[in-house]
Amino acid sequence: MDVKRRTFLHALGLTAAGTLLPGCDKEIRRLVPYILPDDEIVPGVADWYASTCGECDAGCGIIVKVMEGRAKKIEGNPLHPVNQGKLCAQGQAALQRLYNPDRLQGPLRRTGAQAEHRFTPVSWDEGLPELADRIRHTKGPVIMISRPLSGTLADVVSHFIESVKGSLYFYDPSPELPLRAAVRQAFGIRDLPAYDMAEADYVLSFGAPFLEQWLSPVSFGIAFGRMRQGRKNRRGHFVHIEPRLSLTAASADRWLPIRPGMEGLLALGIGHLLLSDHRSSLPAGRLPAYESLYGGVSLDDVAKHTDISQADIKGLAKSFAEADCPLAIGGGTACAHTNAFESHLAILGLNSIVGNINRPGGIRRYQSAGLATHPKVPWLSERRIKELAQALEETDQRPLLLLYDCNPLFSAPPTVPIQRLFDHASYIASFSGSLDESTVTADLILPDHHRLETWGDHVIGEASPHRAASLVQPVVVPLFDTRGLGDTMIDLTRRLDGSHSGPDSFPQLIKDRWQRFHTSHSSRAHEPFQSVWEDLLQQGGLWESTVTEQRLHLSSSAANYQPPQFDGEAVDFPLYFYPYPAPSLGQGRGANLPWLQELPDTMTSAVWGSWIEINPATAQAMGIQQGELVRIHSRHGSVDAPAVHYPGLRPDVIAMPIGQGHTDYGRYAARRGANPMTILAPLFDKKSGALAIGATMVRAEPLHVPGHLILLEKPGTTAGGGSDLISIERPRSSNART
Amino acid sequence: MEDKQGPPGEPRPHRWQMVIDLDRCTGCEACVVACHAENNIRLSGPREAAEGRAINWIRIERYWEGEYPDVKARFMPVLCQHCADAPCEPVCPVYASYHTPEGLNAQVYNRCIGVRYCGNNCPYTARQFNWFDPQWDPPLEQQLNPDVTVRQNGIMEKCTFCVQRIRQGKEQAEREGRPVRDGDITPACVQSCPTTALVFGDGNDPNSRVAIMAKSGRGFHLLESLGTHPAITYLKRLDE
Repeated sequence: MDVKRRTFLHALGLTAAGTLLPGCDKEIRRLVPYILPDDEIVPGVADWYASTCGECDAGCGIIVKVMEGRAKKIEGNPLHPVNQGKLCAQGQAALQRLYNPDRLQGPLRRTGAQAEHRFTPVSWDEGLPELADRIRHTKGPVIMISRPLSGTLADVVSHFIESVKGSLYFYDPSPELPLRAAVRQAFGIRDLPAYDMAEADYVLSFGAPFLEQWLSPVSFGIAFGRMRQGRKNRRGHFVHIEPRLSLTAASADRWLPIRPGMEGLLALGIGHLLLSDHRSSLPAGRLPAYESLYGGVSLDDVAKHTDISQADIKGLAKSFAEADCPLAIGGGTACAHTNAFESHLAILGLNSIVGNINRPGGIRRYQSAGLATHPKVPWLSERRIKELAQALEETDQRPLLLLYDCNPLFSAPPTVPIQRLFDHASYIASFSGSLDESTVTADLILPDHHRLETWGDHVIGEASPHRAASLVQPVVVPLFDTRGLGDTMIDLTRRLDGSHSGPDSFPQLIKDRWQRFHTSHSSRAHEPFQSVWEDLLQQGGLWESTVTEQRLHLSSSAANYQPPQFDGEAVDFPLYFYPYPAPSLGQGRGANLPWLQELPDTMTSAVWGSWIEINPATAQAMGIQQGELVRIHSRHGSVDAPAVHYPGLRPDVIAMPIGQGHTDYGRYAARRGANPMTILAPLFDKKSGALAIGATMVRAEPLHVPGHLILLEKPGTTAGGGSDLISIERPRSSNART
Repeated sequence: MEDKQGPPGEPRPHRWQMVIDLDRCTGCEACVVACHAENNIRLSGPREAAEGRAINWIRIERYWEGEYPDVKARFMPVLCQHCADAPCEPVCPVYASYHTPEGLNAQVYNRCIGVRYCGNNCPYTARQFNWFDPQWDPPLEQQLNPDVTVRQNGIMEKCTFCVQRIRQGKEQAEREGRPVRDGDITPACVQSCPTTALVFGDGNDPNSRVAIMAKSGRGFHLLESLGTHPAITYLKRLDE
């Protein structure tokens, strides 16, 4: 097979080289050998299959180019309402997860001590009974930690966990829990509403990284493009408030470097001005609640604590009030502090004050697709990890831990203390497809298929104006001896209850479920399901052209603003530490994909490593050179990384991307860079229990040795000199700085 | 313009052009990965990348302007500009770098002898040299696109405007017995761009999006003063 393929590639290589020579194509085309006799496969002709991306939880539709049984390229599905044919860097790089050389090739059982990381291959017929047996005889509770699941898989997994009387938690390194909690309080809904950015004409973002990996990145990208240039004579204005000039902030018309943790206070100040200038469109009955929330601040205090001038605050309030479709949106850094919940209430409330709820360009909500039945699974917040570990230790219960496609040992700080939860487990089984830091601790690994090898479905809900249920179908034959999690769950359920009832297989279950949905809802209910099913698979899912809007109701905005707490005395730790998800690597999930490792960070052009960012003035005062290794100390530890002089950063902040510093996770990720999470303090948002990742104070110590910093930008251009391209064209503007 | 119309009855020749709207570009780099996936661009690894040997046919340049706190970052996607008067073409001793009738700067890999004159002469640093043979850790090589040659050590390479996708689009139109429609053909970078900052099409079709957008008052060319007449028009970012 392999040799044939190489011959084939070689021959096609000739065609491609020849394509640039006019007149040669006829001869060359004859060179393509028909080496694969399979009737279904036409050599050299690509088949495209629709499916759903699984790199994040946005549920973008994809089409996959398949030639001779191999997936060649992933593009966005042009028919899909969420991403409309577009796809982000991570989604396209999913191909390298499929063909990753470090993917687990079959079930493994640990041999020897946990620290040795030694495994031997076992068959599924050994692995599945072993796990069933362990679950049957466990004395402690069964706890499953999974990435957020959707659709039928969410049902199957939660039914399984229910049947063994265990607990299922969804874990995501940045699920924006404070925002969710505030939305629940303000509107009384569980899911996040949709931000109608495409129609907005004034976007006021409090740290929301919507042009990075946030909620639904491609759909925000599409909306942003429309907001800027998609409407005749109307260009939306965008102001971004964040301590660091992030990738999102770079696209803003104005960036305001706020003091960390003060996003909510600024929102209160703006709301205060809106109310006192009678710019509110709230009904009179609602006013007192808002006046009590926003009335308690003085503009002097707000300006002093936020480090944003009174004139700027007044300007923001004025522009926000005068815009036709203003939109206030919070996230990212606004979720990173101990007062995040209150901050989000204040930010969401600005939208209510100007009356842009349920309006074009504002915050809206749409009826969910009928297929959505998945049960309400709690999030595993960092505070819950701490409580869980303590409770288990106090009662001396040793849990049986199940893991699926998440890596809390890498992405939660050691202070939480996640390690203790793992240490205390009597048995750990993982269904993840690669040996990350969490899975490497497992006693048994029953690896899942890759997304492109499996069946599934995904219900699009959150933060998106689109109602769709998306289908996942296998586009290639599984490469290795892996098994889909759905089938593994069905098998385990059967072994545990000893019956042969229930669905035959996970793909059959999906098809049945869609058939039931189809017969009760679709306009094509009278047609035979098989032909409808084929159409659905071809299209990639089901979406309605018209969606029903559901009105959002303001339930409550009562909150007392709390100043943020920080860990570390200013004398010893004078700088704010600001870890942020690296746009290319997400929270580290992308670190094992070489395309993403080699994708230059847009702001710094750095590849293949970690760095810390420091304001050039601070760096000069401390004698820190570009590229020099710096040690960042907090009360809880230290990390080393080379320095990058970063002009768009507050002088009192050290920023560092999250995503590198893996100890395992394959050849491309392991032993590369440093993980800023390792030095964070265990401080939480009080309401939601999410880790306050921006609440740690640090100090920087230059180590006077060069660090391993790889920038693709030419040397000497980082600090703001600009490159030749611009300096030739615009000598005055870009050479003003050195 | 007139002489490009050709005899009556003959299909009008194409002139492939691109417009890049900087007011839409958010620097997300979806285009960069799309290009790597489509064009079998090799992985360099940290060591070679540190030596300046990483290959990107399209890159996002980032310019800092101003001082903290009034600092701005601007993005500019830079790829081969497919210049009408391309500085890379006349210097190639073996005609590996030549201009196609449809306005592409083509690089014929099997003519290239690796003298790198073209790279030195390109003001946009759009050409990159292969200092070593490409290598993929198995089974990563299974993702390689069979429509595109894998370039070996000693070869200069660059953006082709995804010539294989242009050919596919034209062949598809031919099979269906119709002319190529505006939007039929998109290079991988244009196809992936979430904000639609990149638009591609036939500049000889006055009704194509690219032809209309290129006339925008915001339009400019990169290093216009050099007189290279690029096929890529940038639209200025607006600031208020």
